[in-house]
Amino acid sequence: MNWKIWSLKKSPWVFHVNTGACNNCDIEIVNLLTPKFDVERFGIKLVGSPRHADALLVTGVVTRQAAPRLKEVYRQTPKPCVVFAMGACACDTGIFNPGYHVVGPVDKIIKEVDPNAIIAYVPGCPPKPEAMISGVVKALSAL
Amino acid sequence: MNHKELENRLSQIKDKLISIEHQPHDRIYLLCESENSYEVNKFLFEDVGLRFAIATGIDSDDCFEILYHYCCDEIGHVVTVKSFIRDRENPATESIAPFLPGAEWIEREIHDILGIEFKNHPDMRRLILADDWPDGVYPLRKGTKRPDSKPSSQPIAQSQSPAGRTIQMSKPIVAVGPFHPLQEEMEFYQLTVDGEKVTDIDVRISYNHRGIEGISESLQFDQVPFLVSRVCGICSASHPLAYVQAVEDIAGVKPPERALYVRTIINELERIHSHLLWVGLAGHFIGYDTVFMWAWKYREPVLDLLEEITGNRNNYGNVKVGGCREDIPNELIPKILKELDKVEKKTEMLTNAVLDDPVLHARLKGVGVLTREDAIQYAVTGPTARGSGVAIDVRHDEPYAAYGDLDWNVISEPQGDVFAKAVVRLLETLESVKMIRQALRKIPDGPVAVEVKEIPPGEGVGHAEAPRGETFHYVRSDGGNRPVRHKIRAPSYVNVPSFKASCIGGHIADVTLTLAAVDPCYSCTERLAVVDGHNNIVHNYEALLQMSREKTARIKKELGVPGIKMEDLQIG
Repeated sequence: MNWKIWSLKKSPWVFHVNTGACNNCDIEIVNLLTPKFDVERFGIKLVGSPRHADALLVTGVVTRQAAPRLKEVYRQTPKPCVVFAMGACACDTGIFNPGYHVVGPVDKIIKEVDPNAIIAYVPGCPPKPEAMISGVVKALSAL
Repeated sequence: MNHKELENRLSQIKDKLISIEHQPHDRIYLLCESENSYEVNKFLFEDVGLRFAIATGIDSDDCFEILYHYCCDEIGHVVTVKSFIRDRENPATESIAPFLPGAEWIEREIHDILGIEFKNHPDMRRLILADDWPDGVYPLRKGTKRPDSKPSSQPIAQSQSPAGRTIQMSKPIVAVGPFHPLQEEMEFYQLTVDGEKVTDIDVRISYNHRGIEGISESLQFDQVPFLVSRVCGICSASHPLAYVQAVEDIAGVKPPERALYVRTIINELERIHSHLLWVGLAGHFIGYDTVFMWAWKYREPVLDLLEEITGNRNNYGNVKVGGCREDIPNELIPKILKELDKVEKKTEMLTNAVLDDPVLHARLKGVGVLTREDAIQYAVTGPTARGSGVAIDVRHDEPYAAYGDLDWNVISEPQGDVFAKAVVRLLETLESVKMIRQALRKIPDGPVAVEVKEIPPGEGVGHAEAPRGETFHYVRSDGGNRPVRHKIRAPSYVNVPSFKASCIGGHIADVTLTLAAVDPCYSCTERLAVVDGHNNIVHNYEALLQMSREKTARIKKELGVPGIKMEDLQIG
C-alpha cells in the first residue's frame, strides 16, 4: 500500500464545506463532535483550513456562486484526499435539481479540477450521524 | 389599535389607491399604481406604524406587481400594498429603502430576479445571483430559460469583491468568509476597521441561493411542503407550517383540532432543540466549550423524540394542506412528558449558570447592542426583536395552530445586547416545555387531516414563529395544481442586515459573537476560511475566535475568577 494512503486512513482530519445546503447535514456533522457521537475518539477532527485536511465533507447542491470556491478549496487540500459528498443534495442535487442557480452535484464540480479524485457518497436527507460515521469507515476501508 | 381604528387610518390614504380589498382572516389588500406606492408605503410604515414583513415581485401577464406586506402585530392583521408597474419594457418604481432600511435587501433581490429598477435606492448591487450570472437574464420572469449551467472559470480573487463596490484601500478591511462562521448560509463579510474598532460592515450573499421560489412553482401544492422544509434544516417545521397556512387560507380549509395540536407540539420541540443549539454555540464562541458540549448533549433527547414522532431527526415532512401526515400516538405521550422533565431540568441548570456567572455578565452585556429604534427600522423579528424590547411574536399576535388555547408568556428584554438575546432564548425554551406539556394534556382525540381536493384561484398569506423569528409565506394560485407565485421570507433575511446597526462601533473581538447573537444557525461555525483577496489585513476564523476567547480570559482575570477544576464540577 502506498504510504500516503496508509497514513490518510489514520485519524483523518476533515474540513467542512457548505456549498448551498439547507444546514441539516451541517448540523449533523457538528453533532458528530458532541458527546453522544464524539468522533474525536477515533481521531477525526474538524479543522479550520483545507490545507490541514485529509478529507473534505461537502454538503449542499453546489450553487453557481459556490462552485468556483469549492474548486479552490479542493485545490488547496493536500493530496491524496477523500471528498465526502454528504447528503442527497451533494450526491445528486436532490430536491433542488431544477433550480436555476444550481450547477452541482459535487462530484461533477470536483472532477472538473481532478478527474481522478476519490469521492465517497453518503446519501440521506439528512444522513443520520450513524450513517455518516459508517460512510467514513467504509470509504477509508476501501482505499 | 383595533380593527376599526386600522380601517379609519387606511381610509385616510384612499385617494392614492385604486381600491381596498378585504379577505378572510384579516388580510387587507390596498391596490395602487406604482406612482403612488412610495407615499402609501411611507404612510403605512411611518404614520400607521405597521411592521414591514417583506415585498414580493410578481411577473403577471400584462404588468409587474410588487406586493409590500405589512403586519399589524397588535391585532394580527396583514396589510398588503399591491402596486402595479404597467411599463413592461422598462419597469421601474420608487425605492422605499431610504426611509425603511429593512427593505433594502428585498428591493435588490427583486431587481436581480425580475429586473425592476428601484429609483433612489442607496445601493443597487447584485444580491442573490452569482457574480458570473449573465446580465439581463431575470430568472423569475415568465419564459426565462435556465442560462448555461457552466459557470465561468474566472479567478476567484476578482469575483470576490462585491459587485460594483469600490473598496477604500486606505482603511484596513477584515475579510470574513465566504466559508464563514455563524450564519446558516455561506456569506462573505468585509469589516472596515480602525484599530480594533469596526467602522463599516458589508456582506455578500448568494452562495447558498438555490432558487427555491422558482422550484416551488414547478411543484404541486402537495409537494411544496417537502421543498420548503429544506429551506433551512433547523426551521424545517415552521416553514412548511407557514406555507400550508397560506394555502389553507386560499382553500378555506380548517384542519381538525388534533392536527393543530400535533403541529404545535412539533414546532415547540423544534424550538427547544434550536435554542439549545444556539446556547451551545454562543458558549463555544466565547471559549466556554463545556456549555457547547452540555447544551448539545441535552438537545439529543429532543431529536430522538422528534424521530420517534415523525420518523426523522430533522426535515419532518409531517405537515400537509388540511392537517398532518402522521399522528402522535397516545402511547407516546407519557414518554414525551418524561423526557420533557429531564430537558427542563437541564435547561434550568444552564439558565442559572448563565444568569449567575459574573464573567458572562461582563463579557456579554453591552456587546452588539441593537436599540429598539433600530430593531423597528430594520424590521427584525423573533428573539432578535424581543431581545431589543420589541415584544412581537406571531404565536401571540395572531395565534395559529393551538397556541391560542395554551397559557404562556412572550419573553422580552429591553437591553438589546447579546446577553439579553441569550436570556430571551433560554427563558423561551422553558416556555416551550410548558407549552408542550399543556398541549399533550389537552390534545383532543380525532382525525389529523381533512381531505382537500382543489385549490381555488386566490392568494394567501401564512406566517409562523420559527425559532429565529417570523417566517412569512405568500402563495398565489390560479386554480391549477401548482402555485403561480410562492414568496418565502425566512427570519434571518430581515435579522441579518441589522448587523449594520449592531456591529459598527464595536470591537473585532465581538463581531463573531454579535453576528452569532442574531441567528446562529450553526452550520458554518468551524469553517471560516479566509480569502486574501485584497492584500489587506486578514484574520481567519481561528484568529477571531482566539481574540474572542482572550477577551473572556482577560475579563476573568480582572474579575479574579479562579480556574475551575474537574473535581468541582457536578456532572449530572
